[in-house]
Amino acid sequence: MPALTRERDVREAYAAHSGELYGFAMRSLGDAGLAEEAVQETFLRAWKAGERYDPEIGSLRTWLFAILRNVVIDLGRARAARPRVGPETGIEPSVEPLEQALLAWQVEEAMRRIGEDHRKVLLETHFRARPYAEVAAEMGVPEGTIKSRVYYGLKALRVALEEMGYDD
Amino acid sequence: MTTDDHRDWKLSLGAYALGDLLADERAALAAHLEGCPECRAELRELEGVAALLPLADPARIEQPAARPPADLGARIEAQIAAEAAREGREKRRRRLRFGFGAAVAVAAVAALLAIVVLPIGGGESSPAQQVKFASMPNGVSIDASLEPHAFGTEIHMYVKGIRSGTLCRVFLRDARGQTFSAGTFRYRWGDDSEAVLSSALDLSQATELIVHAGGRTFMAPVRQATALVSGAEIHPA
Repeated sequence: MPALTRERDVREAYAAHSGELYGFAMRSLGDAGLAEEAVQETFLRAWKAGERYDPEIGSLRTWLFAILRNVVIDLGRARAARPRVGPETGIEPSVEPLEQALLAWQVEEAMRRIGEDHRKVLLETHFRARPYAEVAAEMGVPEGTIKSRVYYGLKALRVALEEMGYDD
Repeated sequence: MTTDDHRDWKLSLGAYALGDLLADERAALAAHLEGCPECRAELRELEGVAALLPLADPARIEQPAARPPADLGARIEAQIAAEAAREGREKRRRRLRFGFGAAVAVAAVAALLAIVVLPIGGGESSPAQQVKFASMPNGVSIDASLEPHAFGTEIHMYVKGIRSGTLCRVFLRDARGQTFSAGTFRYRWGDDSEAVLSSALDLSQATELIVHAGGRTFMAPVRQATALVSGAEIHPA
């Protein structure tokens, strides 16, 4: 089944994937205007090459991300070639290699998708390296609950990553 | 081991995977893992996720997810609609000019082993060169137009009648026999669009257009400002 050859296909693909594509473009480029440009160019290229999309090879989401990756590289090159103008956004563009930036964005997005309790426990114990007992006292729960939330939090994170196409 | 014990061990696997357990807890869980394949399998999965965590930036996690502006989708649709309208007009114009119609097909059959290069396309002002490979296997056609640019040559290919999914590789060759890649495309059955390729070779230096497709090689001479060219060959690979 060919995809994205009709304007209606593009509308459906946009509804399903634009949020994620924009989120990654924003993280990579660090600029809302460039991120918009990247998403727009991605859908335009996808529509132009719509006949070449083969659902047997990969998901539409994976294909769109592959196009976006190329667009981000092109925009990054174009930006490097011209002096910076305009106001600073305060968010620095990612300087990691693009593959790693994509994985990092997926982990961050997965962390945003898991339950609030699980996210908070992982943020405090792992990212901020606080003792389980301290976090337990602050949240008013037994220490064992913190431990089990770490366990269920990691499991939920894995499910969220798999939903985004991550496959180890 | 009771079911409750097993469950308790299991709930500690996340802290174990992240290296958060105290030494004695860690040793005790390691002993349990020795005899529990289920926990070992689960640990492997959790360790895979734990290994990714250092990539994430906690400050970014706590920021709300960036969302595109509400009108971006409408802008993209408008741009695509405009492109579609423009392409439709161009395709109709090309077909009228170069005649993919029945009358031309009859003429092409009559000229079966001769190569026909149609007059230079695009009107008087355009230097584009329109090439039609006429000496082709039954039902197959390749049309190409070449346009000079500062970067080299832009090549528009329009293929019909070959197996869907066939990889086509396109090259330009100069007078010294050096080939310059113009890239690849795939023909898809039912696809009515043309492939747009580019090669670094200047059109004024190009002597031959070469297409490798489905194990066969199709060649057509390129001549600047010449209306008729003969001598195209087909070399099965």
